[in-house]
Amino acid sequence: MSVSLEINLGGLHMKNPVTVASGTFGYGQEYDAYFDVAQLGAVTTKSLTLKPRAGNKPPRLVETPAGMLNAIGLQNVGLEAYLEHKLPFLRQKDVPIIANIYGHGPDEYAELARLLEEKGGADAIEANLSCPNVHDAKSSRGTVLVAQDPELVCAYTKTIRSATSLPLYVKLTPNVATIVEPALAAQEGGADAVSLINTLIGMAIDPETRRPRLANIVGGLSGPCIRPVAVKMVWDAARALDIPVIGMGGICSTEDAVQFFLAGASAVALGSMSFRQPDAAIRVVNGLADYLEGHELSGIAALVGGMAQ
Amino acid sequence: MPSVVDCPIVLRQEVAEGHYRISVQAPGIARVAKPGQFAMLQVSGGYAPFLRRPMSIERIFSDGVSFLFKVEGEGTRLLAEMDTGHNLSVHGPLGNGFTIDTVCDRHILVAGGIGVAPLPALAERVKRDCGKAPDVIIAARTERLLLCEDDFRRMGCAIHITTDDGSAGEKALATGMLERLAPDARTCVYACGPNPMLRAVSQMMLDAGVMCLVSLEAQMACGDGACLGCVIESKSEIEGEKMLRVCKDGPVFDASLIDWAAHDLRDDQ
Repeated sequence: MSVSLEINLGGLHMKNPVTVASGTFGYGQEYDAYFDVAQLGAVTTKSLTLKPRAGNKPPRLVETPAGMLNAIGLQNVGLEAYLEHKLPFLRQKDVPIIANIYGHGPDEYAELARLLEEKGGADAIEANLSCPNVHDAKSSRGTVLVAQDPELVCAYTKTIRSATSLPLYVKLTPNVATIVEPALAAQEGGADAVSLINTLIGMAIDPETRRPRLANIVGGLSGPCIRPVAVKMVWDAARALDIPVIGMGGICSTEDAVQFFLAGASAVALGSMSFRQPDAAIRVVNGLADYLEGHELSGIAALVGGMAQ
Repeated sequence: MPSVVDCPIVLRQEVAEGHYRISVQAPGIARVAKPGQFAMLQVSGGYAPFLRRPMSIERIFSDGVSFLFKVEGEGTRLLAEMDTGHNLSVHGPLGNGFTIDTVCDRHILVAGGIGVAPLPALAERVKRDCGKAPDVIIAARTERLLLCEDDFRRMGCAIHITTDDGSAGEKALATGMLERLAPDARTCVYACGPNPMLRAVSQMMLDAGVMCLVSLEAQMACGDGACLGCVIESKSEIEGEKMLRVCKDGPVFDASLIDWAAHDLRDDQ
């Protein structure tokens, strides 16, 4: 039986449903020594901003049980250096590029999306409305992550939508009472998919020095410890939405990825696991083909939302 | 090119209280490894601890490499418990390693505590490339925590020992001994140890106009330059970047690049 892993993710054709989570895979070249990144369904870039960002002061990283906290603060080379120095490697790889973007206010997101499309720097846009390590969105409730306010999610998504014809994914935060509202708001704003979940906000304190382990005090929790939260949020969102969900959060293995498909994800992304095992994402690609064949399924679609009850 | 390989442990020694050496059979890694490079070692088959541990390569042999480390927490404790025969997943070699300026007349290695870890491989390489074994300053808190003294001696290094309590060698800091050796413009100094020591050595050598390379330690997630978790601040922008990645741009840096004033010394007590 021949299986096909191909999917169409909100208008983006992918040869398999596996990408990488933004910020865990650099701009692709960092992992070139370990496998051919063209074998991935797509490469999702580190968050890009219009101008380069130096990010937060160190220490930026602390290990936690079955996971890690990070507060990188969106350090990145900026759009111009991305187009000039990072894009050529990805383009010669013949792999779809999901450019993750971060802006100050909706217009800057829109400008990034417009420029990326114009310069051929992306095949899809993932708007990071949920970085826990920068704080510059204001709403009637004070300073929040954009993704914590459904009205803002809808407004931002609409503005970005109007600036690009590329498939548009909106990355949401799990730091909310319910994921369904912001997810529906993204859909209403014209998103082609939502990415769930970004990191959970957390912190760690050194009991000896009494100081926070991270210079930023708080950071984003990732790794296998957050997986059950992510699976549940994908399940919640997928049942409420008409657009696809890209599931991520602690995926380490094929079996983990299958959980996300069963919960309703149409595609998955590997995050922190690439730090531990550089070729983890490609292992999941290969593992999914074996899983489908072993279970006599012809494609991923047969799994999506297929949790037995 | 780095790779990820399961490598059998062929030797495990407790070299001092709480300090271990592990040698692995890893011909592919040994063939390409350079002194000063490191590897990410997987300490657990499960996910707690989740991340690998970065460890300096201590020695490079024809068919493998060794690592020297101090038990500091859960990860290093698990590593220290691994016995010969166990397959250790090694991701490496990573980082840039030491550049040896063979034009220099004199090479001085400065080791503070477990910071000695990358220096035996460097001493061997200096001896091979420059025809003469380097001077080595070994600084430790106390006599029983002196590491690698015999290894350096066998290579023919001139050894200078300092201890905080005077139980061996001189009761002095590494910087005091370094000053005595009077490095000049034709000397190259290579240092690895606690940040306060590296900071003091760097400052002294910069003031004296002596070339100085330091090998830094940092918390890391990936080791490949992707996660940006291990950065330090540099004095100037290098290719537009103010933040330098210890894993990829280092771990060995020209001491003049590092903004020691911005460097957080909180973990250095």
